[in-house]
Amino acid sequence: MARGISLYVEGQSPLHRVHPLTKGTLTLVIIALAFIAPSLPWVLALGLIVLLLLASAGVLARFLAILAALLFPIGALLVIVQGLVNPANREVLVPLGPLSLYREGVLVGILTAARLADLIGATFLFSFTTRPADLAETLMQHGLSPRFGYVVQSVLQLIPQTLETVDRIRNAQQARGLEIRGRLDRRIRAFLPLMMPVVLSSLVATQERAMALEVRGFGLKVTRVTRYRIPDSVGQRVLRWALLLLLPLALLARLYGWR
Amino acid sequence: MALTPSVTLAGARYRYPDTERDALGPIDLTVLPGEWVGVVGPTNAGKSTLCYAIIGLAPQFFGGRLRGEVSVFGSPTASQPVNERSRRAGLLFQNPFTQLSGARERVDEEVAFGPEAHGLPQAEVEERVAEALRLTGLQDLRARHPLDLSGGQLQRLALAALLAMRPELLLLDEPTSQLDPAGSRALFDVLRGLHAAGTTIVMVEHRLEAVAALCPRVIALGEGRVLADGAPAEVFNRPEVQASAGMPAFARLAALVGKGPPLPVTFEAAVEALRG
Repeated sequence: MARGISLYVEGQSPLHRVHPLTKGTLTLVIIALAFIAPSLPWVLALGLIVLLLLASAGVLARFLAILAALLFPIGALLVIVQGLVNPANREVLVPLGPLSLYREGVLVGILTAARLADLIGATFLFSFTTRPADLAETLMQHGLSPRFGYVVQSVLQLIPQTLETVDRIRNAQQARGLEIRGRLDRRIRAFLPLMMPVVLSSLVATQERAMALEVRGFGLKVTRVTRYRIPDSVGQRVLRWALLLLLPLALLARLYGWR
Repeated sequence: MALTPSVTLAGARYRYPDTERDALGPIDLTVLPGEWVGVVGPTNAGKSTLCYAIIGLAPQFFGGRLRGEVSVFGSPTASQPVNERSRRAGLLFQNPFTQLSGARERVDEEVAFGPEAHGLPQAEVEERVAEALRLTGLQDLRARHPLDLSGGQLQRLALAALLAMRPELLLLDEPTSQLDPAGSRALFDVLRGLHAAGTTIVMVEHRLEAVAALCPRVIALGEGRVLADGAPAEVFNRPEVQASAGMPAFARLAALVGKGPPLPVTFEAAVEALRG
């Protein structure tokens, strides 16, 4: 049975043990810096830091596979489009018949792709090393309503299970002769007999789960405790503020001539 | 001083919304502390509705109309929200999967969900989780993901989640309907231990052999009313119960070979009757 849609990878690296808020701050700061940084070398340097962090968490290979699938098509498109139509285009790099690929546009495309790579890297760095339950727990300990926290946690686990129900019902309907492949009109006709049982079984399951939660005391107006403390420290709190401080510093540096 | 009953129904009737007849009642019923009561009956006899009425889901969750008195430990269900009642009474449903919170990634975290919702101190939550896992034999699986468990283990996890609230009254609504024989046996073993420790159990169950073997008292329901209430041998020998709820396999076997009445309802009684 599917366990959830979490990207979390079990591990014991220092990064796995860092508080989710610290990792979240790091992620946001990396993304912001990638877009504040003025030039390609800075953005690439930031990317290198992300790669080193991913390697230290033991998830570099997994990330590179995702990066190849996600970024290469988008990056290539960015480079081509910017190379062809960027308003700053002056110097022809590759003549392509009636069109030309310009150096300025290609560089803008590469810079944008590198920024996207930093963004994707930082996001996956967070996702690979943070358990969704730890994240929701952290947010609840910092004021998020337990009901909302429950929704966040349960949705991550229940969506794959609903998809499994769809699969099971589709197989059952196919075994009874329902045609779900082929022409569009056939697929549309198959939609209702497929979706009705899915919707009904989901409603029944939701009702039962709601009752079971009530019976377990969910929704009581008490100060909620949790047995699992997410380890935090003064050092990590200082680190979070230091990371946040980087943002105004970087903005000031841009204003005063960071090139 | 007289014991306060665990469950009292006095002239209780319940009707679901938008329906023409009562699903339950009128019913008069008392369950004393420490009793293990089996509830049997055909489909639509009102067995699940009886559980819902006792725990308060009917009418608090379903709506509809409850008349008469239903109280748990002397406190009327109408005056107490279900989630507050969960401090003393728990309900185990048929489907172990839908009883998971869906929000926890480890067995012990799932068990802790209820005590945490009750705002118990952390040390007590730890203690209760350990106790519930021990009672249900899940200690070795505490770090596993709930969805990695078998159906029987999952139902024991659902029971552990209830036991972590240390209920004095356990309502079980066909707890073995989705379990294989081994899973059912494991669950019944846990229930035997709970009963020995003094927990009051009201168990709706279709496996009549198990009811006859485990429950000192059986209530047969039909069309929302009590058809019979007494010891298993007495209840399962009533013609109206045999006609609606059926009878344990041992009783059918004895009837086939012309033993009885009274028909034996447990394995041991059947062996004795067949020898005689």
